[in-house]
Amino acid sequence: MKRTLAVLAAVAMLTASALAAPVIGQPAPAFTGVTADGGTVDLAAYAGKTVVLEWTNNGCPYVKKHYGAGNMQQTQAAAAADGVVWLTIISSAEGKQGYATPDEAKAIAAAAKAAPAAIVLDASGEIGRAYDARTTPHMFVIDGAGTLVYAGAIDDKPTADAADIPGATNYVLAALEDVKNGRPVATPESEPYGCSVKY
Amino acid sequence: MLRPLALFVAVLGLAGPAAALEGAAVSTPNVEARLVAETDGVQPGGTVTVALRLRIREHWHTYWLNPGDSGEPTSIDWTLPEGVTAGALQFPYPHRIEVGPLVNFGYDGTVLHLADIKVADDAAPGTTVPLKADAVWLVCDDICIPEEASLTLDLPVAAAPPAADPAYAAEFAATRAMLPTPSPWPAVFALQDGALALALDAPDLAKAGLAAAVLFPMSAGHIKNAAPQTLEVRAGRLVIAAEAGRHFATPEKAAKVAAIPAVVVLTGQDGQTRAFELTATPGPVPPPAAAAGRDGALPLWTALAFAFLGGLILNLMPCVFPVLSMKALALAKKGGGDLGGARAGGLAYTAGVVLSFLALGGALLALRGAGEAVGWGFQLQSPPVVAGLALLFFAIGLNLMGVFEVGTRLQAAGAARTGGGLVGSFLTGILAAIVAAPCTAPFMGGAIFTALTQPVPVALAIFGALGLGMAAPYLALTLSPGLVRLMPKPGLWMVRLKQVLAFPMFGSAAWLVWVLALSAGPQALALVLAAIIVAGFALWLWGVIQQSGGGWVVRGAAASAALAVVAALVVIPGLAAPAATAASDTGAGPRWEAYSPARLDSLRAEGRPVFVNLTAAWCVTCLVNEEVALSSAGLAAAFQKAGIVYLKGDWTNRDADISRLLEAHGRAGVPLYLYFAPGAAEPAILPQLLTESIVMDALGLVSPPSS
Repeated sequence: MKRTLAVLAAVAMLTASALAAPVIGQPAPAFTGVTADGGTVDLAAYAGKTVVLEWTNNGCPYVKKHYGAGNMQQTQAAAAADGVVWLTIISSAEGKQGYATPDEAKAIAAAAKAAPAAIVLDASGEIGRAYDARTTPHMFVIDGAGTLVYAGAIDDKPTADAADIPGATNYVLAALEDVKNGRPVATPESEPYGCSVKY
Repeated sequence: MLRPLALFVAVLGLAGPAAALEGAAVSTPNVEARLVAETDGVQPGGTVTVALRLRIREHWHTYWLNPGDSGEPTSIDWTLPEGVTAGALQFPYPHRIEVGPLVNFGYDGTVLHLADIKVADDAAPGTTVPLKADAVWLVCDDICIPEEASLTLDLPVAAAPPAADPAYAAEFAATRAMLPTPSPWPAVFALQDGALALALDAPDLAKAGLAAAVLFPMSAGHIKNAAPQTLEVRAGRLVIAAEAGRHFATPEKAAKVAAIPAVVVLTGQDGQTRAFELTATPGPVPPPAAAAGRDGALPLWTALAFAFLGGLILNLMPCVFPVLSMKALALAKKGGGDLGGARAGGLAYTAGVVLSFLALGGALLALRGAGEAVGWGFQLQSPPVVAGLALLFFAIGLNLMGVFEVGTRLQAAGAARTGGGLVGSFLTGILAAIVAAPCTAPFMGGAIFTALTQPVPVALAIFGALGLGMAAPYLALTLSPGLVRLMPKPGLWMVRLKQVLAFPMFGSAAWLVWVLALSAGPQALALVLAAIIVAGFALWLWGVIQQSGGGWVVRGAAASAALAVVAALVVIPGLAAPAATAASDTGAGPRWEAYSPARLDSLRAEGRPVFVNLTAAWCVTCLVNEEVALSSAGLAAAFQKAGIVYLKGDWTNRDADISRLLEAHGRAGVPLYLYFAPGAAEPAILPQLLTESIVMDALGLVSPPSS
C-alpha cells in the first residue's frame, strides 16, 4: 500500500510539470539527421564533446549580419580550436527562404568561409521543433554529458545592424569558455532574436 | 488593425491633402513612412504629438515592443534643434500574427507610433522647428527585411493656439484609443498545471462578461507566444491563461519571476476594445474549479482529486503512520473474521477523520471570516494546544509500548458487538486527524491557501476530500476482505513493530515540547515536562489497573495524577509568551535581525538588498531549510560581501505583520523566502525547499572560495 501511494504521488507530481521545450540543465533532445555531405549525424555520437547547434537561413538579414561581418565564422573557429563540434542546422521547409539542397548548402558555406563540423538539412523541421528553435540565428550549447547548457541568442544586441557587433557580448563564446573551465554557464539562456524559422 | 480606418479615411477623400502638416513620404520596398503632426503648428514652449506613420505593404507586418517569437520592434532616433525634446515612442496594442508554428506581436496595414515633441520656450512665432528622425523597422512577410528611413518635418511656430489637423485626426484618434492605459485593477499571476494564469480583480467586468481578452507580456519568456489563450471568470475574477514560457521551466526559475509587466487587450460584449498596461505580481489565482459550476464540474473534481491524493500521502507522515498501523494491526489480528464489524468500524473511522477535517477547516474559515489573521497551522500558535499535543503524542507512544491499553473492555470482546467499537473507531479517526495537523502545515500550505480563496462550500468540499483521502487506505482495508487476508499473520512481530512505532511518537512529542519552549518560555517548559512525567505515571497506574484490578489506593493515585496533568495544562496558557525566536542563531550562518514592515521599507528605500525569511518553530520545513541552506559560513560571507540584509520574521506566535506579508505573496503559512533586489518593485520568491545553491543563485551570489 505504501509503495502504491508513493507511486501515485510521484505520478501526480510528474503530470503537473510536463513542458515541451528543452530545459536548460536537462539532457538535450536526442536527434539524428542528414548532412550536406550526404552523411548522417547523431547527437549521441558526440558524447564527451561539447556541441554547438546553430540555426541558420542565409536569406535572413540577422544571419547576414553575423556572417557578413565574420562574427559567426570567428565564433566557429574559436569553438573548433577547443575541439567543440559545431552543427549548422537549416530547418527551412522546401520552397521557403533559406531552404537549400546539399550542394547549395555547401556552396553557401564555402562562399561565407564558414567552417561547421557539419551542415544538417532539416527541411521537415523535426530537429527545429524538438529544440523549439524559433529564430535564425538561434544558438544552443550542449556539454560533454549531453546536458543543454545554453539556449538563446548569439549575443546581447538584438538588431540586424553589423555595427552593433563590436560592442556586443557573445553569449556562445562565453558559454563555451565556462564549459571549458568546468564552471556553470553564467548566462544559460537569453531571448533569441532574428527572423522566424521558416518551417 | 487600422486598415478599415485607412479605407474609411480614403473614401471620405481626406487622405493626404496638401494642407496637412506632414513630412515627405519615404518609400522603402515594403513600407511608406512619414512624420505627421497632430496639429497645424505649435506655440513657443508648447507640445505637439508627432506620429511616425508606417503604411505597410499588404501581407507584411512590423513589430510591437515585444516582437514575439521573432522580429524586432520599430525604433526612432531623433535629431532635434537645441531646446526641443522628444518623448518616448508610443506603441498601440499589437495583434497576434501567426507565422507557421510561431506567433509574432505586431502590426499590419497602417500604424502610427506617437511621440510628444516639446518646443523651446524661446521659439519665435513665424519660424519653423525642423524635426529630423532616423526610423528603423523590421518588416516581414514570410521573409524579413530590415528597413530604415530618414524623415523630416518642419513644425511652424505660431503665437495662436494651433488647430487640430483634420487630415489625420481620425488616425490619431484611433491610435490613441489603441494606446494602453494603466489598469485600474490589481493583477496577480500563478503557475497552474504548466499554464501561466493571470487574474484581474475586476468584478464589474467579470459580471458583465467579455467577448475576448488577449495577454501580451512586455518581455519574452513568460508565455509560449503561439499557445492558445483562454479567458475565464473564476471566483469573480477574470483569468487569462496560456502555456507558460521558459521563465517557468523549473520550479526554481518560476520562483524567481517577481513581476510580469504586460498589456491586456479586452473586448467587451459590445465589441469595443481597450488595452490596459499592468504589472502582475505573484499571488493566488483561483483554480479552474472556482467557476462556480459555470463550466461544469470537472475543474472542481480535479481540485478534489488533488486534495484526496494529499490526504492519502498524509498516511505516510511520521505523526500519522503509527496510529494508522495500530488500526491496521488490530484488523489483521481479527484476521478478517468479522467482516461486517470491520466494515462498520472502517466507516466510523472515516467519519471521524472527515468530520475532524471539516471542523478544522470550518474553524479556520470562521476565524478568517471574523478578520483574524490566521493561516494553516494556526492551532500550533497556541501554547496549550501545543502542550496538549505533546502529551497526546507521549501517551500514544506509551500505548504503543504496551504500558496501557485503550478501550480494552469495549474492543477486546469484538469491535462490533456493541456500539462501543464504532465509537472507538470514530475516536481513532479524530485522533488521526488531530495528530496529522502538525504534519499538514508544511505539505498542504499551498493547497489549503487555495481552498481558503474559494466560496465556503467549495472550500469545505476540499477539506472533506483531504479527510477522505486520509481515511481511504484504512477504509479500503476494511471494505475488502481480500486485502486483509494479504496482511501477514499476526505474531510476536506485531508487538515488536508496535513498540518500534512508539519512537516516532516520542520524537514528535519531543519536537512539540521544544516548540513550546520557544513560544512560551522556560516556565512552560518545566510545567509541560512535569505534566509529561505525571501523565506517564498516571497511565502506568492505569495499565496496572487494567492488568490486575488494583485497589482504591492505585485508582486514587491515578485519578490525582490525571488531575495534576489537567492543572498543568490550565496553567500554561496563563504564562506570558515571551518574544520567541523560531531558531536560535546557529552561529555560522548569516547574521539576521527581526523582521518588521518599517525596517524592510527603510532598507529598501536605502537601496539595500534584503533577504526575508518567514519561519516558525513548529514548521519542520522551515527548520530543515535553515539548517541545510541558511547556516553556512560561506553564505554568511557571501551575504556580507553583497551587503545583503537578512530579516527573519518569526510566526511561531501569531503576528499580524507577518500574516499580511505572507498573504501579499499568496501564502497561508510559512515558510516563505523573499529576496528584494535593490530597486526592484517586487521581491523574488524562493522555493519552499531550499538548498544553499538555490539561495546563492536566487540572490545572484557567487560562492566564496573555501579557505
